[in-house]
Amino acid sequence: MNTPTEDIIQMLNPSDCFTLAMDEEIRQEQMPGSQCGFALELSSTPDITAIEQRIHEFGERFPLVFASLQQRGKRFFWCKREQQHPLFHHHIAPDTVNAADFHKQTVLSLLNHRQARETIPPLEFHLIQSTGKNTFLMRWIHPFCDAKGADLILKYLCTDDAEQRLRFDLPKLEPLVNQQLDKYKWWQKVLLFIKAKRHITQLDTLQSIIHADTSKAPKQLNFNTYTLSPEQTQSINKLTRQHVGLTGTSLYYVGCFMRALHKMNPEQAGDAYCTPYAFNLRRNKALSPLLGNHVAPLFAQAPKAILHDRAALFQHLKQQNANTLREKLDYAFLPLMWAASWLSLEQHGQKLRTSMRTGTERSSFWFSDIGNVDLSSASFFKTDITKIYHLCQISSPPALAFLSCQFNQQLTLSYNFIEPLFSEEWIEALHKNVLEELLLE
Amino acid sequence: MKQKIREFIFNELIFVAEPEKFSDDDDLLEAGLDSMGIMRLIMHIEDQFGVTLPDSEIDPDNVKSFNTLEQWVLQHQA
Repeated sequence: MNTPTEDIIQMLNPSDCFTLAMDEEIRQEQMPGSQCGFALELSSTPDITAIEQRIHEFGERFPLVFASLQQRGKRFFWCKREQQHPLFHHHIAPDTVNAADFHKQTVLSLLNHRQARETIPPLEFHLIQSTGKNTFLMRWIHPFCDAKGADLILKYLCTDDAEQRLRFDLPKLEPLVNQQLDKYKWWQKVLLFIKAKRHITQLDTLQSIIHADTSKAPKQLNFNTYTLSPEQTQSINKLTRQHVGLTGTSLYYVGCFMRALHKMNPEQAGDAYCTPYAFNLRRNKALSPLLGNHVAPLFAQAPKAILHDRAALFQHLKQQNANTLREKLDYAFLPLMWAASWLSLEQHGQKLRTSMRTGTERSSFWFSDIGNVDLSSASFFKTDITKIYHLCQISSPPALAFLSCQFNQQLTLSYNFIEPLFSEEWIEALHKNVLEELLLE
Repeated sequence: MKQKIREFIFNELIFVAEPEKFSDDDDLLEAGLDSMGIMRLIMHIEDQFGVTLPDSEIDPDNVKSFNTLEQWVLQHQA
């Protein structure tokens, strides 16, 4: 039987399929799927009319925000909906409630909101308002765009000059994943595929350490965020340079987080910490592509045996990263992602998550560092941005994601965790360890 | 050499609206060359020009512009 095609806008690229497979994995755990968020804390109430106008303009320029993600045959597509949904939502706290609680609970309820994949809006903007506190939250589903794309959408909203906004765009030709793949001849793709598979086999020789209490069923995402002072941030930046040099900034956070986890329970079962991180295919400072995923996954892995030695750990992570680039393993994942996009979501998810050797979870935690959030100014519709943090749903296990960014010379750490596999108290203790590690001379 | 490095940086690593106006002394770090980009650039230079650039010399002073990059590579090419 033929499936309808006239409402199809576009097909997902291999990188979108990779995030869609994770969406399915999370949904299979009776959780909401791969919802992500960027939150801006504001010093006062912004100009709401101007926000609504800018969001309206954004929707007109990028109508894919109104699309519905649907399966047709074996593949997934963005399809037209009969009716457009609202992009902007305004939440006002009743006078009687505690402002901090209201903001946190509203963000949590939005990130934990369950809705069928076909009907959930790919992207929404929420202004959460109470006396003395304002939060602007952008929530999106990961198959729709990656964190860099979300960063660019925020940048679009914050750009006051209409001509400058016209520079934000979509890929002119193919998605960047496909453009990179097109550079290789078929036999080179096969060699890259084999290389990537061999690399994963090698990673899978060590069983990953998982701290989540997997005897419990996942119930909801929670998060704790911590913004460090400019002085602390400056010290961490200096220590980062000292320990990993110019070429591995994120690896300092990864190494410190691994050591902090190890301190929580040095006897935790497993041989190594392993975390995936994204390799972005966009050029830095490029304002395009805005939508779609344009990343490939890489892995940082450190055996338990070297965690006690900070210098050896950072050296190991740096060396691993250098080898990954030297052997072009970053690009080697592209054919693997392309091939996996033909699998069922269940098979794709299994390949992404589980060790080929032991069948257990490969990731000890998820990690993302978006570096310096580069908005044209620190103001947002006539008010100031005081803090930025990002959020994401996670599969269980690992049930833990460590996300970082810097804004206005301040580092913000966002710990996202699935309850009851982790508790808030455990995360607070973990953060103390992380801070100690980050600031250790 | 400088031209090949320019092409690689502007095609693969950073977006500059008018690359022809980007001088050999302009700051690449300010233009968006980040830690991952520097690593990728070093691997490319090593492959392309048959040099080994020591880790200990990966310093902002050596990678900040096309001119400093060229000088750094030339020091090791002999």
